Amino acid sequence: MKKYDQTSSLVWLGFALLICVESFRLPLGSIHDPGPGFLPLLVGVLLAGLSVICFLQARKGPSAEPKGSWYSTERWKNLVWVLLALLAYAVVLDYLGFLISTFLLLIVLFRFGMEPQRWAWAIGGSVIASLSCYAVFELWLRTQLPKGILGF
Amino acid sequence: MEFFSNLHLAFSVILQPDNLLFCFIGCLIGTLIGVLPGLGPVATISLLLPSTFHINPVSAIIMLGGIYYGAMYGGSITSILVNIPGEAASVVTCLDGYQMARQGRAGPALGISAFGSFIAGTLATVLIMLIAPPLARVALEFGPPEYFSLMFLGLTVLTYLASGSMVKALMMACVGIFLGTIGTDNISGIERFTYRSYTLMDGIGLIPVIMGLFGISEVLLNIDAASRQEIYPTRLSHLLPTLRDWKDSILPIIRGTLIGFFLGILPGGGAVIASFASYAVEKKVSKHPERFGSGAIEGVAGPESANNAASQGAFIPLLTLGIPANVVMAILLGALLIHNIKVGPLLIKDNPNLFWGVLGSMYVGNAMLLILNVPLIGIWVRILKIPYPILFPLILLFCLIGVYSVNNNIYEVIIMILFGVVGYLMKKFAYEGAPLILAFVLSPLLENALRQSLIMSGGDFSIFFTRPISLFLIAVAIFLLVSPLLPGIKRRPKGGDLA
Repeated sequence: MKKYDQTSSLVWLGFALLICVESFRLPLGSIHDPGPGFLPLLVGVLLAGLSVICFLQARKGPSAEPKGSWYSTERWKNLVWVLLALLAYAVVLDYLGFLISTFLLLIVLFRFGMEPQRWAWAIGGSVIASLSCYAVFELWLRTQLPKGILGF
Repeated sequence: MEFFSNLHLAFSVILQPDNLLFCFIGCLIGTLIGVLPGLGPVATISLLLPSTFHINPVSAIIMLGGIYYGAMYGGSITSILVNIPGEAASVVTCLDGYQMARQGRAGPALGISAFGSFIAGTLATVLIMLIAPPLARVALEFGPPEYFSLMFLGLTVLTYLASGSMVKALMMACVGIFLGTIGTDNISGIERFTYRSYTLMDGIGLIPVIMGLFGISEVLLNIDAASRQEIYPTRLSHLLPTLRDWKDSILPIIRGTLIGFFLGILPGGGAVIASFASYAVEKKVSKHPERFGSGAIEGVAGPESANNAASQGAFIPLLTLGIPANVVMAILLGALLIHNIKVGPLLIKDNPNLFWGVLGSMYVGNAMLLILNVPLIGIWVRILKIPYPILFPLILLFCLIGVYSVNNNIYEVIIMILFGVVGYLMKKFAYEGAPLILAFVLSPLLENALRQSLIMSGGDFSIFFTRPISLFLIAVAIFLLVSPLLPGIKRRPKGGDLA
C-alpha cells in the first residue's frame, strides 16, 4: 500500500490546500464571532496536516506492494462503459424521457457491463424492466419521471 | 407506571393498520434488497428513502426502521448462505454461519439468527423504554458547548474504531465536514463553494452522496471483482433449531444482547464492534473454543443478537440527543429533517407518537421478521442465485430513479455518479466511507454548536473545558485520539481482528 498511500495522501493534500485557498475568499470573521469561512478553513488546515502525516507514515511503512495493479486489467473497459452509460443517461434523460433513456441504458449495461448477454435477452430484459419501472414509479407511486420531447 | 403508559402509547401507534402495513412493507423490502449481493443496510435504506417522502412522518420512520431491521437480517442470510457479509456487522456471522451451511445446517443457522435477533430486539426495546426518557431529561441541560463536545466525541469514536488507519479515517471526517459546509451559510446567508450553481445553493444532498458512496461504488467494485460465489443451501428442510441448539444458544443470545445494547448506545461504533465483542466473549467462555470457526451455533447466535441489540441501542442517541451514532442513524436523521421534525431532547415531549411509535415498531418489526422469514427463506435463496451481470443494471437503475425522484434534478444524478467514482477509489485506496458520511451529516449541527459556543464565550475556547459535561466528553475524545501514540497501551481494536 506504500505507493498508493503516498499518492492518495498527496491528492488529499492538494484538495486540502484548495479548500484553504477558497475559504480565504469567504468572510472568516473573528474568533469572537466566527464567520462562514471559519470552519472550512479549519478543516482545510486539519486535512492538510493529516495528509502530510499519512504521507510520512506511508514512507516509513513496509514497502510490500500488493500484487497487480489497483484496477482490474481485464475489467477496466467494462467500468468505463458503465460510467459513460450512466453519464449519458443523466444527459439525455430530460430530452428523451424516461422510457427511451432507460431502455437504451439497460441495453448498454446488459451488453457491455460485465458479460455480454445475448441480444434477445438484452432487448427483452430492457423492455420489460423499463416498462415495469414505469408502471411502479410513474403510475403507482406517482413519481414525476421526465416525459421528454416525445411526451411519454 | 410511566413505563406502562408509554408501552401502551407505543403499541397504540404501531398497531394502527396503516403503520402495521408500512412496517410490514419495510421489513419485506428491506430483507429483499438486503439479500441482493453488494447492497447492505446503508445502501438499502438510501435506495428506499425517497419512497417514504410521500407518507406521514411517523409511518415513514416506522417503515425506514422496518427496512433497517430487514436489511440487517438480509445481510445475515447472505453471510450464512454465500459467505458474503451484507455489511460489516455480519462479518462475524460468516465465520461459523457459513460453516454450518456447508455442513447442511443452513436452516438452524438462519433460524437461530432470526430467533436471536428477535429475543435481542425484545430485550433491547424494554431497555430503551427505561433509559431513553431520563436521558432526554438530562440532555435538556445541554447547551451548544455540550453538543459540540458530544459530536466531537462521536466522530472521534468512529475514527478510533475504523478498521483501517485512524489518520485516514480522520481525513475522511474532515472531508465530510467540508462537504457539509457547501451551500448557503445558515447564520450569515452567504453562499459557500457554490460557484453560482443552483443545485449547490441548498448544499449537496445527503441522498446522492450516500447512494454514490455506498450504492454505485459497490456495483463498480463488484464489476471489477466479478467473483462467483458458491451457494450452499442444497436443501433447507428444517429451519427450526433443535432443542440442543437452543440449549447451546440461549446464554450467548442473552450475553450478546447486553453487550450489543450498551456498545450500541455509544456513538460511533455500534453493531460492528458489538458483534466482534460478542464472538470474542463466547469463544472465551466456551468449554470447546476449538469448535469456533467450524460451525459452532454459539458463534452465530451471540453476534447476531449483539448486532441487533446494538442497532436498536443506536436509536437512543438519535432520539434523545439528535445525534446519530452510525451511518444508518445519520440517514434516519436526514429523513426526519426532511420531514421537518426537530430532533433533540424535546422529541419525546413534542412528538410522543413518533418516539414511542418507533420503539413499538422495533418490537413488532422483529416479530414480523421472524414470521416473514420462516416461510420466505426459499425465495431469498432463489434471489441470491440471480447472476450479477443481470442484477447490476437493475440496481444502478434503482439508484438513478431514487436520486432523480427526490428533487427531479438531473445534477443530483451527476453528483451521485461522481461520488460513486470517489467511493470506488476510496475503497481501492483503503479510505472508509462511514466517517465521511457521519461527519457530513453532523457538519451543520457541529458548525452551529461551535459558532454559538464561541459567541457565548466571546471567543474563548476554554468554554469547552470549564463546563463539566463538556469537559468529560472532550477528555474522552482526546484520550482516544492520543492513545495510539502512547507507549504501553495495547493496540486499538481493529474491525478485522478477532481476539
